[in-house]
Amino acid sequence: MSNAVKVGLWSGLLGLFIVVMFSGRSILMCGIITGVFAGLLAGARTDGSTMRDGIRDAAIAAGVGGALLLLANLIRHLLIDPLVAQTPPPLIDDILVGLLAAAIAVVIGVAFGAAHFLNGRVGLASARVPASSAATWALLGLIIIAYPFLDQAIQLGWIGIIITSLVFILLAMGLNVVVGYAGLLDLGYAAFFAIGAYTVALLSSDHLGGQLGFDLRLSFWLVLWIAAAMAAIFGLILGSPTLPLRGDYLAIVTLGFGEIVPIVFRNLDRLTIKIGDWVLVKNFNLTGGEPGISPIDPPVLPGMNFADRTDQRPWYFLLIAIIILSMILINRLRDSRLGRAWMAMREDELAAASMGINIVQTKLLAFSMGAFFSGFGGAFFAAFVSGAFPSSFDFSVSVIVLCMVILGGLGNVTGVIVGGLIIELSDRLFLPQVSLFLQDLAKANPTLEWLQRFDPNLYRFGLFGLVLVMMMQLRPEGLLPNARRRAELHEGEEPVEAVQSVVG
Amino acid sequence: MAATNNILEAAAVTKQFGGLTAVNSVDFVIGRGSICSVIGPNGAGKTTFFNMITGVYTPTSGTLLFDGKSIAGLKPDQVTTSGIGRTFQNIRLFGNMTALENVLVGMHARLNANLFGILIRSKKVKAEEASARRAALDLLDYVGLGSERANEISKSLPYGDQRRLEVARALATNPKLLLLDEPTAGMNPQETAALTKLIRQIRDERDITVLLIEHDMKVVMDISERITVLDRGIKIAEGSPELVRTNEQVIEAYLGRGAAAHGKGGRRPATAT
Repeated sequence: MSNAVKVGLWSGLLGLFIVVMFSGRSILMCGIITGVFAGLLAGARTDGSTMRDGIRDAAIAAGVGGALLLLANLIRHLLIDPLVAQTPPPLIDDILVGLLAAAIAVVIGVAFGAAHFLNGRVGLASARVPASSAATWALLGLIIIAYPFLDQAIQLGWIGIIITSLVFILLAMGLNVVVGYAGLLDLGYAAFFAIGAYTVALLSSDHLGGQLGFDLRLSFWLVLWIAAAMAAIFGLILGSPTLPLRGDYLAIVTLGFGEIVPIVFRNLDRLTIKIGDWVLVKNFNLTGGEPGISPIDPPVLPGMNFADRTDQRPWYFLLIAIIILSMILINRLRDSRLGRAWMAMREDELAAASMGINIVQTKLLAFSMGAFFSGFGGAFFAAFVSGAFPSSFDFSVSVIVLCMVILGGLGNVTGVIVGGLIIELSDRLFLPQVSLFLQDLAKANPTLEWLQRFDPNLYRFGLFGLVLVMMMQLRPEGLLPNARRRAELHEGEEPVEAVQSVVG
Repeated sequence: MAATNNILEAAAVTKQFGGLTAVNSVDFVIGRGSICSVIGPNGAGKTTFFNMITGVYTPTSGTLLFDGKSIAGLKPDQVTTSGIGRTFQNIRLFGNMTALENVLVGMHARLNANLFGILIRSKKVKAEEASARRAALDLLDYVGLGSERANEISKSLPYGDQRRLEVARALATNPKLLLLDEPTAGMNPQETAALTKLIRQIRDERDITVLLIEHDMKVVMDISERITVLDRGIKIAEGSPELVRTNEQVIEAYLGRGAAAHGKGGRRPATAT
């Protein structure tokens, strides 16, 4: 009971922050977010054991969250809007919209709460899953599908930011294979992202064809796979000389590789290859140098208009499809002979080798598979922004992606997705909005003029650092850890029976 | 070539670390289907010798033939795939994986699923995975762990069960020769007796040759058909338990010169319980 209220408060607080910062119709989106949080958490943390308990707890949690949303809208209306010199809509409008958001939260919350306690299993004989998790996923799926239409309907305008965030989440899922499963610290992951992007840029634009005088424009659907394969091949090429290194040494070498790749792309704009006196290529512009390569052909699919860049919904669905595909592939890898070999290697390299696992080959495959998924990410990203620019692939990309993996929980795909959402949305959505908000505040109130020079955006890396340090101190296993990782990190804290029985 | 009756033949095997000779020109054979032991006081070179067979160290000189083929200088995974399974002195299970997964890792080299098959999850890969799981459960059962323990995280198993799990994991590599590094270390008498029985059973039922390194004299004398004694890197005695038990040099190595000279007063290693 009190649990449910607590959960409701927490889910409502996020909504409260968003509503106060964004105002407008964002509250409806917050209704959904609050409902999902309240439903999922109340379901997971309820003391009860029947569906009625689940529904009751979720309803309480979502109700509390919804009430906070309504409160948030009132705060916005009565306190904030005058402060930033905006004319709010009539009070009754804001109250009605607030109530609507609260109702949405309760409905969604109850649905998730009920789904948590569904009994039995569904599915075909070979792949039966518990009905509760199937229903939860189905609900999440519905919300994911509905989101872009809602975004359009209430003119929220978050979709572009969401798409970029999802690209980073895809990268984090790939890096999780390398760092989380195989335990190899890779600090140059952005390099493979760049390789994927440039592969698409070269094969799916006029850049090469225009210079060479022929039409080389492959379909995106083919290039997507070529890009992933190229990234995987470069994973092998980088890995083969460096993987005998361990731990810190490997991290340093990958760091170097991550720096080299963008520099190479930046400087391959006047490529000359001379063998003796024979000039094979003279001043060939391979990568477009600093300005990069642009534009890139959009994918072509009947029924979806990717070319109209004002409507980003097709891109959103394409990316969701790629992410789901990647999740399936990563899960298959994890549950296979290869995934087991990765985990065994991470735990004890000598014991793994003594089980007949070829360490070098297994490490190479981990590196290469991790790179494969960032190739997907790079390919999509290049097509989405219609260009490949060397500045998009600097060190900060590698670091942010690594932060997502660590924050979410090493080795757990769901955790990585949650961690990625938190970092990316804070970075791209909330921080800029806070900054805008402060600007407005400063403009409307001459006494707060100093605020105009304060831009939270500039402190983003400081904030990342702070969050990471706090995570390492408070919850080193991440927000949603892999059960095994948690066990590894808390080894010293539990009574070790094995040792006692040796002594005894 | 493989027709010889010895599964492992070591000739003049030497390992030097800088100026220190840890194993000095040791000749050693293991008969096919036997249970042999290597004993010796601390620092005798037992573990170094073991590590040369398993590929952790490369011998400085000498030859090591397994089933007629040289294994000197192979990497640990190559040694394992050629048919030598091992356990470790201080248990080295994959502590955060389940018992079943530990055994499945042991089967790694026997499974054929390739990357592409895994990604598309082909029928063949699925069938292979299912049969590997069955075989792993059988193995857990065989060593007495029972399938109800299969999904427990291995480091939360009781100590004796961890030892058994390590044996099951080594058996999963499908060895012809099983190397056990102090398998009963830290066990109570009941656990020791059960494990001794298991080792004999493995040899009898699975046709696997066993080589032990062991400190527990009772176990060694009880189970071994042939014992090799190392001291300061040199083989000082070899033969049946009775022969080794009464060997002057062995008693001296274990208990010091004085004990050997006086005969009485010193405990004899063979009868120590």
